[in-house]
Amino acid sequence: MSELAGTSRPCLAAGCRWTSGVERKTLVFPEGALRLRETAYAILDRCDGQRTVDEIIEQLRITYSAADPVTIKHDVIKFLGELHQKRLVDFR
Amino acid sequence: MIANPIALIAEVTHRCPLGCVYCSNPLQLTRSKDELSTAEWQDVMAQSARLGVLHLHLTGGEPLARKDLEELVRFARSSGLYTNLITSGIGLSQRLKELVNAGLDHIQLSLQDAEEYSADLIAGAQAHQRKLQMGNRIRESGIAFTVNVVIHRQNIDHIDEIIALAESLGPQKLEIAHAQYYGWARKNALALLPSREQVRRSLETVEAARVRLEGKMRIDVVVPDYYARYPKACMGGWGRLQMVIDPSGRALPCHAAPIIPEMQFENIRERTLEWIWRESSSFRKFRGEEWMPQLCRSCERRQKDFGGCRCQAMLITGNPRATDPVCHFSPDHGLIEEFLARANGNAIHQSSESWTYRTLPHKARLGSRESNCY
Repeated sequence: MSELAGTSRPCLAAGCRWTSGVERKTLVFPEGALRLRETAYAILDRCDGQRTVDEIIEQLRITYSAADPVTIKHDVIKFLGELHQKRLVDFR
Repeated sequence: MIANPIALIAEVTHRCPLGCVYCSNPLQLTRSKDELSTAEWQDVMAQSARLGVLHLHLTGGEPLARKDLEELVRFARSSGLYTNLITSGIGLSQRLKELVNAGLDHIQLSLQDAEEYSADLIAGAQAHQRKLQMGNRIRESGIAFTVNVVIHRQNIDHIDEIIALAESLGPQKLEIAHAQYYGWARKNALALLPSREQVRRSLETVEAARVRLEGKMRIDVVVPDYYARYPKACMGGWGRLQMVIDPSGRALPCHAAPIIPEMQFENIRERTLEWIWRESSSFRKFRGEEWMPQLCRSCERRQKDFGGCRCQAMLITGNPRATDPVCHFSPDHGLIEEFLARANGNAIHQSSESWTYRTLPHKARLGSRESNCY
């Protein structure tokens, strides 16, 4: 994951979007759908192509202040890396 | 409690400007006068969204043969469905913008081969150059984009060139899908089935390309199931995840299901989608494990492949309840071996000169006047 610098700006990949309506925490894409856990949703919801990876991590550290900040950083980078592999997330 | 379907495959028409010899549409195609109306399709979409369907796959035939496609897409999107258009690209140029504006989520464009002459021969139409132009336009539009190429003996040795061509069009994904031998493909199987050696080489080529293109273009492969050890999980299991609606409104658990002679299918003109999914005898028939022969019922893979494909069992063994004969445990597996031996032996003689192009009944050509049923 050489592309995942703290300054890159993640966004949902082409063809990947949230379902409308009540099931908003479900991500749909050409091959299927993912229903996200609260924390995964908290990460992806911030992937708007504006915020950088570092900014997202910082915001999550504030939201989840009880969690270990090192773990948060690790989890965010790992999760975005996995979704990039699946072509659900791109970086600007 | 039966889980809801997650995908609806809408065969909105069987009309198509191409006549691909590998088409898996039924031999008895629906005529345009029998197609569902705009309002009827919209009703199906609204019902499916309420039932929990997430994905709508608009296919055919060529969906663009319908003048109301934009209207259908707009309605589907407003119903909350993720909308995928499976197309040859022919007829798309004037309509792409409007379809994207209507909320289309994804386009899957088919190519037949890497090189024009061969591609057009497989399609039975001059289409290749127009498809390439459309590929570029689709990429430029920014919509999510997949290129799909059905693989068989006539193009399998060009896989390297096919991958390079797809790469030049810049889709997010390339789908290398080995032909599935139903409908017209089954009719032409002796001209289409590749040899074991060709399959092996092609899979190696694809694997190397997959590594090389990682992060740039994803490559998905649908393996040729006649050469597999285990059957495919057809439709993800009968009546388990998906529903097909054919152009005339018949609801099918699998698009090939009408070849099973004992079956009656409900039509959405007469029943609700929910009733058909939960209550109809056709959707219940091979759902779950009750119907399975002992061999499947005691197999640890039964939750993976669900006994394989009922239509394939029907086509090859004459018994839709049999274990899919592709499975090497099947007592009928010898029939597949025999067929492969015949196809491999025939490789030199059976070529494009003797195949049958997919045609609507009123267009039937000389030389393809065999009976239009199995």
